[in-house]
Amino acid sequence: MRYSYIKPRRKTALSKDMQLLFTFFSVTLFMLFLTYGFLVFRDYRFDQNHAEILQEEKNLRVGIEDMKVKIAMIENQNILSERVFTKNSVLKDSIHNLFDLVPSRITLSQAKIMENGLILYGVTPNKDIYNFMLQAPLRSIFHRTYSSFYPLDNGWFRFVSTNYIDEEANDEY
Amino acid sequence: MLSKILETLYTKVFINIIIGYTKSIVYTEVVSKGVVVSSDTKEFKTGTLNNEMHEHLKSCISQSPYHYITILDKSVNQGALPTCRDVKNYIDISTLHTVCVDNDWTFYTSQESIKDLKYEYQSVGVDLIFSPFPILVTFFKDKIDTSLSIFALVEEKNISLCVFNNGKLLYAEYLHIKNMKSDDNLMMDTILEDDEDEIALDLDDIDLDDIDADDDITSLEDFGDIEDLSNDLDIEEFSEAQEIVNKEDEKEVSAEDFNDDYNKFLMIQDSIHNFYQDEKYDSEFVEHIYIADSIGVSLDLKKYLEEEMFLTVVVRKIELGEKLSTMAKVEIL
Repeated sequence: MRYSYIKPRRKTALSKDMQLLFTFFSVTLFMLFLTYGFLVFRDYRFDQNHAEILQEEKNLRVGIEDMKVKIAMIENQNILSERVFTKNSVLKDSIHNLFDLVPSRITLSQAKIMENGLILYGVTPNKDIYNFMLQAPLRSIFHRTYSSFYPLDNGWFRFVSTNYIDEEANDEY
Repeated sequence: MLSKILETLYTKVFINIIIGYTKSIVYTEVVSKGVVVSSDTKEFKTGTLNNEMHEHLKSCISQSPYHYITILDKSVNQGALPTCRDVKNYIDISTLHTVCVDNDWTFYTSQESIKDLKYEYQSVGVDLIFSPFPILVTFFKDKIDTSLSIFALVEEKNISLCVFNNGKLLYAEYLHIKNMKSDDNLMMDTILEDDEDEIALDLDDIDLDDIDADDDITSLEDFGDIEDLSNDLDIEEFSEAQEIVNKEDEKEVSAEDFNDDYNKFLMIQDSIHNFYQDEKYDSEFVEHIYIADSIGVSLDLKKYLEEEMFLTVVVRKIELGEKLSTMAKVEIL
């Protein structure tokens, strides 16, 4: 039962100055904790980004290795293609030279170009023309040259010229 | 939450102020966890808040931030009524502050007096203001619930009077003893007149024949030898004369007390007379009066009440400061 005419004033252990001081410290502490929280969050995000970057770096390194392998392969292919191209050029030149080598009076019906040899099939009016005009240059190119003649009905000869270059001799060069 | 924890750590200081007309009492209690650690009573010869009292209150306040200042209301316009709902039938409550007790009776004071108290003590603040009626009720709780009696709290210049019938308030009045100088004189005159009558009556009873005239003559003869007295004897007589003067002063003081008590008696008598006469109150014949004595009333008041009003008088000493403190603790703790 309340008997007093008035209610007691609200009491506090903290004076106005103390309240101000506590408010100030509270705000300061709040700001410190806020900053700490922000830094912790940033640290967490930094670690997360660092891990992501490391993973990316790892992936990139794997990619680089793959690419290096691919580059090596492409370079090999390039070398191979160049070699093929060179070979083709050489072959082309060889064929061109071969056709330049063949005199107009001799007609070639077939030519087999091998790695170490050349087999020519054709028709010649006579053996001399063949021997002087075709066999002589062939002999200068190939180490071994074998010729076979088959007479045709019209007096001409079908010939088969088999020419080889010795590998040992090739290696010397 | 934090304030509750802090509150338990600190001691509480209950400062109870009883304002009088010539002196004020400040009773201080230091309470820790519901137990009174120390108490102190200091008396100031002032009826208002003076510098000395202000300094004392400041020093009490500085003991703990949890201090509560309690004041006993001395407003002349206070009282109590035997109802809570029909208060308007008795008084105009527009300017009053009322408190209903147990939905049965109401005590009130003027809002102005509360404002005045707050204003006077604004430098130290006021937490609780108590009416003397609930103090009286709690003090005589055992008698109020079981008897039809008058209950009076007698202070220096105030009497809080109420009539209870088995816990039911029938009548209450706050009596203020005015500085009735002229009335006092009048009263004293009447008393003296009464005394003169008594003397006259005594004179009638005196048998003149019984008086031995010779004795008186010898005494007069003794008085005639006054010139033979030495200087030492003169001094002795002078000192006796001084004693006579002092005795006269004492007589004046006792006369003042006598006047006060007689005034108190008259006011109680008037108030009870009003209770019997006023139709607003359910009057019943009362045979007992319980007096809560805060100042030390003389036996004269008791004698007047017993002889003039035929009341059975019981006087119980009350320490108002302690009682105020108890009530404050009930409100706060």
